[in-house]
Amino acid sequence: MIGLTYSFVLIPLVSTIFIFCIPKRRAELFRPLTIFLSLIPLGLCLYIFLNQNLKTSFNVVDKFSWISAYGINLTFGLSGMSFLLITLNCLLVLLSILSLNENHGHSKGFLGSLMLLQASVNGVFLAGDLISLFIFFEALLIPMYFLMGIWGGENRRYATIKFILFTVFGSIFILAGTIYTGVLSYLSSGSFALDFETISSLSFTSSQSKILFLLFTFGFLIKVPIFPLHTWLPDAHVEAPTAGSILLAGVLLKVGAYGILRVSIPFFTEGFIEYQFLIAILSVIGIIYGAIVAIVQIDIKKLIAYSSISHMGFVMLGISAGRFLSLEGAVIQMINHGITSGALFMLVGFIYDRRHTRRISDFGGLKQSMPIYAGVFLFTSFASIGLPGLNGFVGEFMILMGSFPTFQFLSSIAAFGVVLAAIYMLWAYQRMFNGKLIHEENKEIHDLNSKELVAVAPLLLLMLFIGIYPSFIESYVLQDVSVIYESINNILGES
Amino acid sequence: MSQISEAIGFNLIVISPTVTLVITALILLFFTITIETKMIVKKVITFSGILVTLFCVFLKFGLFSQNGVSSYFTQKILLDEFSLFGNVLIGLILFLNFIPIWGTSYELNEKTSEAIILILMSASGFFLMVDAENLIMLFIGLEIGSISLYALAGLNRIDKLSNEASLKYFLLGSLASCIFIYGVALVYVSYSLMSVYDFALAIAYTGPDLIPLTTFIGVLLIFVGLLFKIAAAPFQSWAPDVYQGSPTGYVGYMASIVKVASFIVIARICMVSVRFILEDFETFFFTVIFLSVLIGSFFASIQTDLKRLIAYSGVVQSGFILSGITSGVNGTSSSMFYLFAYILQLIGIFTIFSIISGKLSSNFEMDNIRGLMKNNRFLAISFCVFMFGLAGIPLTSGFVSKFILLTNLWAYEKYFLVSILLLSTVVGFYFYLRPIWIATIEKVDEPIEMLLIQKSEYLLIGSLASLTILFGLLPNTLINISRWVVQNYL
Repeated sequence: MIGLTYSFVLIPLVSTIFIFCIPKRRAELFRPLTIFLSLIPLGLCLYIFLNQNLKTSFNVVDKFSWISAYGINLTFGLSGMSFLLITLNCLLVLLSILSLNENHGHSKGFLGSLMLLQASVNGVFLAGDLISLFIFFEALLIPMYFLMGIWGGENRRYATIKFILFTVFGSIFILAGTIYTGVLSYLSSGSFALDFETISSLSFTSSQSKILFLLFTFGFLIKVPIFPLHTWLPDAHVEAPTAGSILLAGVLLKVGAYGILRVSIPFFTEGFIEYQFLIAILSVIGIIYGAIVAIVQIDIKKLIAYSSISHMGFVMLGISAGRFLSLEGAVIQMINHGITSGALFMLVGFIYDRRHTRRISDFGGLKQSMPIYAGVFLFTSFASIGLPGLNGFVGEFMILMGSFPTFQFLSSIAAFGVVLAAIYMLWAYQRMFNGKLIHEENKEIHDLNSKELVAVAPLLLLMLFIGIYPSFIESYVLQDVSVIYESINNILGES
Repeated sequence: MSQISEAIGFNLIVISPTVTLVITALILLFFTITIETKMIVKKVITFSGILVTLFCVFLKFGLFSQNGVSSYFTQKILLDEFSLFGNVLIGLILFLNFIPIWGTSYELNEKTSEAIILILMSASGFFLMVDAENLIMLFIGLEIGSISLYALAGLNRIDKLSNEASLKYFLLGSLASCIFIYGVALVYVSYSLMSVYDFALAIAYTGPDLIPLTTFIGVLLIFVGLLFKIAAAPFQSWAPDVYQGSPTGYVGYMASIVKVASFIVIARICMVSVRFILEDFETFFFTVIFLSVLIGSFFASIQTDLKRLIAYSGVVQSGFILSGITSGVNGTSSSMFYLFAYILQLIGIFTIFSIISGKLSSNFEMDNIRGLMKNNRFLAISFCVFMFGLAGIPLTSGFVSKFILLTNLWAYEKYFLVSILLLSTVVGFYFYLRPIWIATIEKVDEPIEMLLIQKSEYLLIGSLASLTILFGLLPNTLINISRWVVQNYL
C-alpha cells in the first residue's frame, strides 16, 4: 500500500508538532496524549502484520524524486527484518513513555524528542536507498543530543559530545562510501542513483568492493559498537535519562548492525569475505572484554552497558561468520537484546527514581522490601544470560552453533561469554537483592506500582514468547537472511 | 524603453539595478541635507528603491531571454547566467537585510541616512562587479562596494572595536585592491586585453604552452585580491576582527554581499577566462582550500566570541565553496547552491545576534546566549536550525549542499580534498554544537529575559529558517537553478 512506509516517519513527526502546540498549563495532558499518539504507529504495525505478507526480502513501496538532476530518489520499503525492528522501536518508545517519571513525563521537549527519535530510527529501518539511510542515520543524533544534554546526568556534557563526535566520525565514512557508490553508479548508468536495486545491479571490482565495505562497515561498527570503538557507549548510557537508555540500547545499537546486514554485506560481499575474520576477532574480544569489565562494575547501569557490548559482540560474531544459521541468530539476537536490555534499563530507571543512586553497594536485600521487582529483575537477568526457554538463549545458541563451522576457535572462546554473563548478572542480582537489608532507606522503598508493571510486562511476555516459540520471528527474518546468505554463497562459489 | 536604448546606443536595462540604487541613494542624500524629513518617508523611499531594484533584476531576465549571453557598453557590462544569478542574490541580500539594517540605522539616530546611503551605494557597486566584463569595470565595482563597507564597519564611532574594525578592514582591503589592480595590469601587459571573455579566446589562440609568465602572475594576483574578499586563508585575518567590531546589525549584510559578489566573479574567471589553464592553478587553490579548512576549523573551535566563531566558520565555508568552483562545471553549480544556502543561514544568524545583543553592539560573547531557550523559544529554535544548517546535519540545506559538492568532487577524483573536507565537518560538529549547547541545554540561574522581537523580524527569521529546512527536504528547484547557471559549459 502506498504511503504505508513513510507514515512510520510522518506520524511521529506530526505527533511532535502536535505535542508542541499544547499550551504549557495543560501539562497533565502531555503524557496521556503522547501515549495515545505513539499507539498509532503500533496500530499501523498491527495492520501491516494482519494484512500484508511480510515474510519477504526488501521490497520498495514508496519513491520520491529528491534531486532529479542527479537522479537521486528517496526510497522507502519494508522487509520482514525491518518490520520486526520497527515494531520493536514503536513498542519501546511507547513503553518508555509509560515508564517515565513525573519529572520527564510532564516535559514537552522530552516527549517531543522521543517522538523525533522514533521517527528517525523508523526512517533508518525503512530506507530503501543509501541517501535516505544516511539522512535518518544522522538525523537521529539531533533528538539524542537534546535528550542526553538536557535530561542527562552529572557528566552529561562530556558524554553527549563524545557520543555525537564518535557517531559523526563514523558517519563521514558512510557518507564517503555513499558518495563513492553514487559516483560508480554514475559511471555505469549515467545517474547518481543510490537505491538498493541499482546498487545490487552494479558490478564492483574486488578492490572497490573492499574499500566500500570498509567505509560503510567502519561507520556502522562505531554505532554497534565493536571493540575498540565502544568507549562512547558506557558514558552515553550512564548519563542518558532512562528513556534515552532504553532506546539507545534497544534500537539505536541495532541501527549499526542493521546497516551492515542491509548494505555492507549484500552489496560489497567480496570485502566482507576479506575482512570477516577481522570483524570476528574484534567481536569475540568485545564479548569477553565487555563481560569481564561488566563483572567489576559498581554502577548497575554501567554494568548493563558493558553487557550490551558483550551481547552486541555476539550479534557481530554471528554476522561475520556468514552462515545461514549464524546470520539468522544474529538478527534474532538483535531483537532479543533490544527487548532484554530495554527491560533492564527500565528496571534500573525504576529503582533510580526511588533511591537516586545506581551503586550496587547501596542496595542489598531488596528482595524483602520489593519482591515483585526482584522477581521481574531475575526473570530479565535470566533472559539476558540466555537461560533456555527465554529469548536470549535462542539467539546466542544459533549464533554459536552457526559460527562454529567457520570460526571454530573463536566461537569456542565466545561461548565463555555466556558463562561470564551468568557471573556478572547473577552476582549483581545477588548483591542487590539477596542478603540482609543493610541500608535504612531501602526498608521504606515501595514495590513496583501497577503503572510500572504495565510498562515492563509486555517485554517480559515477549521474552517468554520468543523463548518458547522462536520460529515465529524466525519466519520473518528468513527471507532477508537468505538474500544475504546467497550473496555470500555466490562469491564463495565463484572463487 | 528599448526604443530609447536603441536611439542613444546603449541598453539601460542591463545596468538598471545599479542606476536605481544610486538614484535612491541620491534622493535620500538630498532629503538628508536639505529638508527635514520624517523617518518613515525615508524608510518608504529606501524600501521602494530596493523593490524597484528587484524589479530591474527581473527585467534583466527578460533582456536575457531576448538576447542571450551578450555584452553592452562596448564590452564593459556583461549579461550572462552568472551575472543574473549574482544579481538575484545581491538583490535578495539587500531585501532580506532591510529589516536588520533599518533597525540598526534607527538605533544610530542622526546618522540614519548616512548608513543607508552607504549600504545602497555598496550594493550598487557589487551589482556592477558581478555584471562587469571588463576587468577595470570589475575593479571599479569592487571598490565602490568595498569602500562603503569600510565606512560601514566603523559607523559606530563611540565604539573602539568598531573603529579598529574599520581601520583594519580599510588598510588590508586597500592592500588587496592594490594586489588585484596590479594583477589586472599584468594581464593587460601580456595580452592588451581587459575582457574576461576575450581573455579565454586569447589563451586558446596562443595555446596553453605559449602563455607569457606575466599572465600567470597577473591571474594569480587577481585571484589573491578576490580571495581576500571571501576571507579564504591565508587572507582571512581581517574577517574575525571586522565581524566582531562592526555593528551587529550590519554584519549579516557585509559578510554575505562580499562573499556573493566575489564568488560569482571567481566562478566566472575560472569557468570562462582561465578555463583552459585552470589546472595550472590547482596547487594554488588546493593550498588555499586546505589552509582555509584547517585554520578556520582550528580557530573556530577555540573562540569564545560568537561573531568571531561565525567568521572563522565562514573561512571553512569559503574553503568548501572554493573547492567546488575551482574543480569544474558540476562543482561550480554545486558551489552556487552552497552559496545560496549559506548566505540564507548567515543572514539569519546575524539577525538573531542583532536582536539579542542590540544592533550596535560589537562584542558578542557566548555568555550572551546563555539560557536563550528559557524565555526566547523562537530565537533559540531558529538559531539551532541555522547552526545545524551550517554544520551540515541532514534535513537542512547545509547537508544537501555539502553532499552535492562532495559528490562532484569525488567524481573529479579529488579524493584527498574530499577526505579533508569530510574531516572538517566532524570538527564543525564540535564548534557548531557548542553554542547550541549553551543556548538551549545548559541550565542557568539567570537566563536572558524575554526579548522584544518585532513582527517583521519574526517573519524574516522564520522564513529564513523554513527555507533552510525546505531546501534540505526539497532541494530540486534550487539545484536546477544552480545547474542553469553553468548550462553553457556543461
